[in-house]
Amino acid sequence: MPEKNVFPLTMSLTAAKLRASRFSVALAALLPAFLAFVAARGSCGTAMKFFLFFFPYVFLVAAQDMAGTEISSGALENVIFLRGVFRRFLWRKNFALAASAGAYAAAVFIGLALWSLARGRFDPNWGLQFGLGLLAGFYYIGAAGALSHFLKGGSNVVVILLAQAASLLGLLASAASRSAFIDHLEAGKFPDLVSRLKFLGFTAVFPNLIVSPRLRAGALVAAVGLAAALALQRALLRRLELRKEGRA
Amino acid sequence: MLRVTGLRKSFGPVPAVRDVSFSLARGRTTALLGENGAGKTTTLRIILGFLKPDAGAVETAAGRIGYIPDHPVFLPWLCGRSLLDLTGRSAGFGGAKWSAAVRRVCEQLFFDPALLERRPGTYSAGNAKKFACLQSLAVGPDLLVVDEPFAALDPPSVRRLRDLLAEARNGGTAVLLSSHMLAEIIRTSDDFIVLRRGEIAARSALPEFLSRYRPAGPAELESAFLDLMRA
Repeated sequence: MPEKNVFPLTMSLTAAKLRASRFSVALAALLPAFLAFVAARGSCGTAMKFFLFFFPYVFLVAAQDMAGTEISSGALENVIFLRGVFRRFLWRKNFALAASAGAYAAAVFIGLALWSLARGRFDPNWGLQFGLGLLAGFYYIGAAGALSHFLKGGSNVVVILLAQAASLLGLLASAASRSAFIDHLEAGKFPDLVSRLKFLGFTAVFPNLIVSPRLRAGALVAAVGLAAALALQRALLRRLELRKEGRA
Repeated sequence: MLRVTGLRKSFGPVPAVRDVSFSLARGRTTALLGENGAGKTTTLRIILGFLKPDAGAVETAAGRIGYIPDHPVFLPWLCGRSLLDLTGRSAGFGGAKWSAAVRRVCEQLFFDPALLERRPGTYSAGNAKKFACLQSLAVGPDLLVVDEPFAALDPPSVRRLRDLLAEARNGGTAVLLSSHMLAEIIRTSDDFIVLRRGEIAARSALPEFLSRYRPAGPAELESAFLDLMRA
């Protein structure tokens, strides 16, 4: 297959898969409805804050089962994936998902921004926050994609959500201690090395944090994490073979 | 059309293919024979790019390659028509030319076009096989790799597929097929390669081989193949 045809093929397959996922479609329909409800009953600012913090999860939902099941099922042993196209397809899937989820998030963001603008409550900082949210979303895709080489189905996403739940529980459990990390997070100040390392680790598990104006330093973690996840995927894909005996 | 040189592949300590070299010409059908575990599937999968060889090279001048697997599996979220359209677009086809090619192969394979609106994962084994044939044959491949082509097909479909393979070969396609059905191989192939424990044990043009064994009858012919595979 000519190289120029691989990305359009990947985009078509990715879009079709997202459309076929009832959960993705339901989420895509419910999120704007919920935001409109919040904006109408509360304020546009509240709806935008909610959106900016949570929209990276759109990328995480889209990234479920990125590679594992397709590799093990034998579905990539098809005439359209011959001569290594399956490797290029799986690699480009990162960008196809990022483009699809990014386009959806941008559409919702623009809608909310226009609504806020019409009410005279638009905050220019939202643009930067949206950009940082996109970085968090790309990080989710990179990480979930790498995990998907080891886990089948949507368990790549479940593992990330479980890690987040465990981190949150740890955070709550430590709230009673004298130098509580939760206080540092709230202030956006990390006075010692331990609290800085904790912040880096917490951001790696919870990249949505970087949307907060006080925690933008974590963007570096998301950027480095994204680069590392993509490098790992690249290495895994270079070695990837479709072995018949490994089929599910 | 295809040149395989010094192919080697091991799975852990187990050698699957050892120093396999052969070439395929346009307009010839070559059968890959051998017992289970002889290295046929590994060889095919290296040629198709699903496996990486430990050593050796696969060179091909084929612009379009077709592949009919023994047990086809399809992406579960696409209906047959969408998958076919993607196949056509990936191969540079589109519009009326592609639709005509699909219609023609559907008729030749006795494949009900109404099935294209369903997901191939819901097809019977025979129809899934026919759909895989449809995907590969409609693009007009320069090289066609077929693994157990006649498995799961009913007798009329076997006959139709045999005709289609012959038609592709006569149109200049190099066909490489692996099968255990010796009677079908004798009917469809020009040349054969016998693999034994990962190595080429014999290769010949089929007519030459047949001229030596035909007087002894079909049963003897089968025995001769089996001797080659096991010797």
